[in-house]
Amino acid sequence: MAKNFDYEKLGFKCGLEIHQRLSTKHKLFCECLANFFNDKQVQKIERRQRAVAGELGKIDKATSFESKKNRFFNYQVFERSSCLVDIDEEPPHIPNIEAIRNSLSICTSFNCEVPDEVQVMRKGVVDGSDPSAFQRTMLVGYDGKIIVENKNIPVTTIFLEEESSGIVKNTEEYVEYSLDRLGIPLIEIDTDPVIKTPQEAKRVSMEIGLLLRLTNTAQRGIGSIRQDVNISIKNGSRVEIKGFQELDSMDQIIDSEIERQLSLTDIISELEERNAKVGHAVNITDIFNNTKATLIANQIKQNGVVIAAKLIGFKGIIGKELTNDLRLGTELSDYAKSSGVKGIIHSDENMDKYGITKKELDDISKKLELGKNDAFIIIAEKKDKAEYGMELALERARVAMVEVPSETRGADSKKLNTRFLRPMPGKSRMYPETDILPIEMNQILKEFKPEKTNVESIKKTLKDEIKNQQLAEQMLWSKDLQLYRKIINSVDVSPTVVSSILLEKTKELRRSGVEIEKLNEETYLEIFKEYANGSIVKTAIGEIMSLVPKNPDDVHKIINDKSLHRIKGKELEKIIKSFDTQDKAKLLKDVMSKYRMNIEGEELNSLINKKGS
Amino acid sequence: MYSDKLEMLFKKSKIEIGDQIKVNNKGKALEGILMPRPELGDNNIVVIKLSNGYNIGIKIEEKSTIEKLAEHTKEEFSFPKIKNIENLKNSNKISLLYTGGTIGSKVDYVTGGVYMLTKPEELLHEVPELKNIANIEVKNLMSIASEDISYLEWQKIADSTADALNAGSTGVVITHGTDTMHYTSAALSFMLKDISGPVVLTGAQRSSDRGSSDAFMNLICSANVAANSNIKQVGICMHATHSDDYCNFIKGTKARKMHTSSRDAFKSINSMVLAKAYQNGKVEVLEKNKDVEKTKKKTIANTKFEPKIALVVSYPDSDPGILQYYNKKGFKGVIIEGTGLGHTPVSTTHKEYNWLSSIKDATSSGMVIGITSQCINGRVNGNVYRNGRLMQEMGAIYCEDMLPEVAYVKLGFLLGNHNKKDTEKLLPVNIAGEITEKTDMNSDE
Repeated sequence: MAKNFDYEKLGFKCGLEIHQRLSTKHKLFCECLANFFNDKQVQKIERRQRAVAGELGKIDKATSFESKKNRFFNYQVFERSSCLVDIDEEPPHIPNIEAIRNSLSICTSFNCEVPDEVQVMRKGVVDGSDPSAFQRTMLVGYDGKIIVENKNIPVTTIFLEEESSGIVKNTEEYVEYSLDRLGIPLIEIDTDPVIKTPQEAKRVSMEIGLLLRLTNTAQRGIGSIRQDVNISIKNGSRVEIKGFQELDSMDQIIDSEIERQLSLTDIISELEERNAKVGHAVNITDIFNNTKATLIANQIKQNGVVIAAKLIGFKGIIGKELTNDLRLGTELSDYAKSSGVKGIIHSDENMDKYGITKKELDDISKKLELGKNDAFIIIAEKKDKAEYGMELALERARVAMVEVPSETRGADSKKLNTRFLRPMPGKSRMYPETDILPIEMNQILKEFKPEKTNVESIKKTLKDEIKNQQLAEQMLWSKDLQLYRKIINSVDVSPTVVSSILLEKTKELRRSGVEIEKLNEETYLEIFKEYANGSIVKTAIGEIMSLVPKNPDDVHKIINDKSLHRIKGKELEKIIKSFDTQDKAKLLKDVMSKYRMNIEGEELNSLINKKGS
Repeated sequence: MYSDKLEMLFKKSKIEIGDQIKVNNKGKALEGILMPRPELGDNNIVVIKLSNGYNIGIKIEEKSTIEKLAEHTKEEFSFPKIKNIENLKNSNKISLLYTGGTIGSKVDYVTGGVYMLTKPEELLHEVPELKNIANIEVKNLMSIASEDISYLEWQKIADSTADALNAGSTGVVITHGTDTMHYTSAALSFMLKDISGPVVLTGAQRSSDRGSSDAFMNLICSANVAANSNIKQVGICMHATHSDDYCNFIKGTKARKMHTSSRDAFKSINSMVLAKAYQNGKVEVLEKNKDVEKTKKKTIANTKFEPKIALVVSYPDSDPGILQYYNKKGFKGVIIEGTGLGHTPVSTTHKEYNWLSSIKDATSSGMVIGITSQCINGRVNGNVYRNGRLMQEMGAIYCEDMLPEVAYVKLGFLLGNHNKKDTEKLLPVNIAGEITEKTDMNSDE
């Protein structure tokens, strides 16, 4: 689904923000466990938040936008992975030194400068994801770089910050969060907007992820790394896209965003030509007093109102597809939804699907005095909500005549497009965390020498160790690299065998339905130890791996129960003799087919050949 | 403050705090706004705010240079000037007396801590809901942290409260630092007589410059209590739980800060709460508090107070010499926070830790000695154990279920108005809700 854009001509610019959770024992500002997601919930609390003036006195646009939604927040409190600090009932403790040291290793690996002193800042967030209404964050590195395909990608800044809480439920009245995740140390890596194509964005994301993984400081598992992409094009606007579920579709989603902006740019000139105007909200509830349109009828029954507004010259434009399954109507609706309304109805839609009759349409047309090129939008809801929702939708419509708005958008990996989340946040969201003294990094660096991770040298080591070069490259990118290194370091076994088992055998077993994720590090080590000391043959490794998930007994028991011991030397000769044939090829085949799990092919081969000579 | 060396450097380049500067250090250049140096840490480290909003510190070396790029751009935000928030829908008028504390504090870039607001309008600006509750008259009494408040401030607050009520306010809300709020609430309970409307102290455990501050709900609920509850008492109105769901209005002589940082820090001790106040305006008044006098009397402030009083704690190996110390300094009375039912060390192995003779010396030389308990919950009783009986014999007064801090404030109030004999008589007798005849089973709900 490549769109084949000429990115250079479009003035495409792209920078990345990569967020990676660190693997530390404790959270960043308290002693709660930082990687404990099966904890027991002990309480639930309810909170409200509001926009307050920041350091410079201004209330940030994005902040007050969220706060106007007027929802409350529920927080699930856990036994071992949350505490009073998490629920903003206790000042933060001193910053976690393990996290700071890890962040310093990451800074070194990305060639960053480290400030002599670091001030922890509060970054305002009013979507409720932090009970304190701000996220604690600090700049730990600047002016670094990473080289990707021989191109220098400047790493502008590296931040160490608190992870937000995980969203559990999102309703009209409230959002529920779980606090086990809140406050886990999180590293943010920002690049300069020097990325020239969506494909390059994907490549750089992968390389940054790889380097982070190779520092051995990163937490693993679903959600432990997230990518945000900042993009802009010449006639469009700067947009931040959040929430990429996987890297695979990143380029396609960016392409879709480019297409969206281009379509919106076209709409600007079209609306200008049509001399478009945005009308004002009108109460049209009386038109629907006896309506069959269930959606509207239900709202009226619950004392709601129906309000409408005329969009002069917008006919056909609201319903036109901007990009993959996304219309201007979707954008108006997404803005309106921020007020808590469920959505809007617009005149470019098929009214039959709502059950709105021709008569009702005519009445609307009369009441709004619609012209040939005019469109309308309707919201049915409680009065306050409907009015505010309409205000937001109309504001979005007004903007559509002038520019592509600067927004934070969410990536939709199914529809391969982006959806409006909130306006782009400004700078006034930052102010110092007054409960924590500045951190003297130069003092920490006197006692701790951060280790620089070099991808090239790790790659070279792997290529030296693993005979199969393709496997070596795969091992570098594998999430099991750490496991590989551990096995190689503690067991005297061929790296090629280990890598082929970890990369290929696991894949094969997974395909055949084996729950390979249930194998832990100790099991792997045990199996390879048995192999290294000659108790089992290579073929048996896979067999044992396939048995472990269903037989949680130890590896020895599986070997005994399933008779997986290696047969060699005299014993093997005896077996060969018992096969009554002189045909070497047949002998090899017969013995092997019977003792596949117990015999090393090479040994059998040499014994058979010796016998014949 | 920056080091002299840096200050000189700034002066030479005419650089002031807030200016846009460029620091060249170790071959790297960084631009940002020069921020004030926190009191702590290396004062040769320059703190700048980068354009992304982050503050970082750069150590200035011999070879570093600093240049000024631009003057401080004044981007100050001025809150709308609000003297009184008028709302014609409301016939009720309440007064908001502002005394300082976290509820009215902002970030201080000089100390790195929080500082007190001087303009209460800022607070009202952030809580516009208040204007729907009543017409609010704001008075800025003082702007100090509650740990700095003394009996002089209690007197001032009491006078202003009486003035406000007598000038027609339905109720009074007093914003106050939380640390000693329960001392002030006790003081007002004793000093104010014939109170004509609710006197509601409130504060915040989280400063109101953050979106999660408890200040907003505390203010809204307090204003509701002041405007609508008709409970003619002094009390503290703050969060009841960790949630932003409702506040407890706690009797001024029964409230105590029981947590250093949590928003539900104030608990009602040895007594039920007076009322529960919700954000939506609902005030659930406890049955026995509903029966309030209809006639409106003139509120009287009797602020006489004897400051030469002390509160001391006894504990294993505590030195009773502390009583002699206060005696010598001319103190008129001491409240002892004893152990358990109200005990001090008496039959100790080491004679010097026996408090009996010190208590006797104190009482016979004219001091009043009151006994409370560090258990906080429950009632003292000097009759159960021999040690308690001996202490009573030496003239110590057992203060029933009175909180130590409340007993301390009451002692000052009594001594300001009465002689030793009457003070001793009145100390264990209820005058402002500080002593209950029966101890409620559940004090919190």
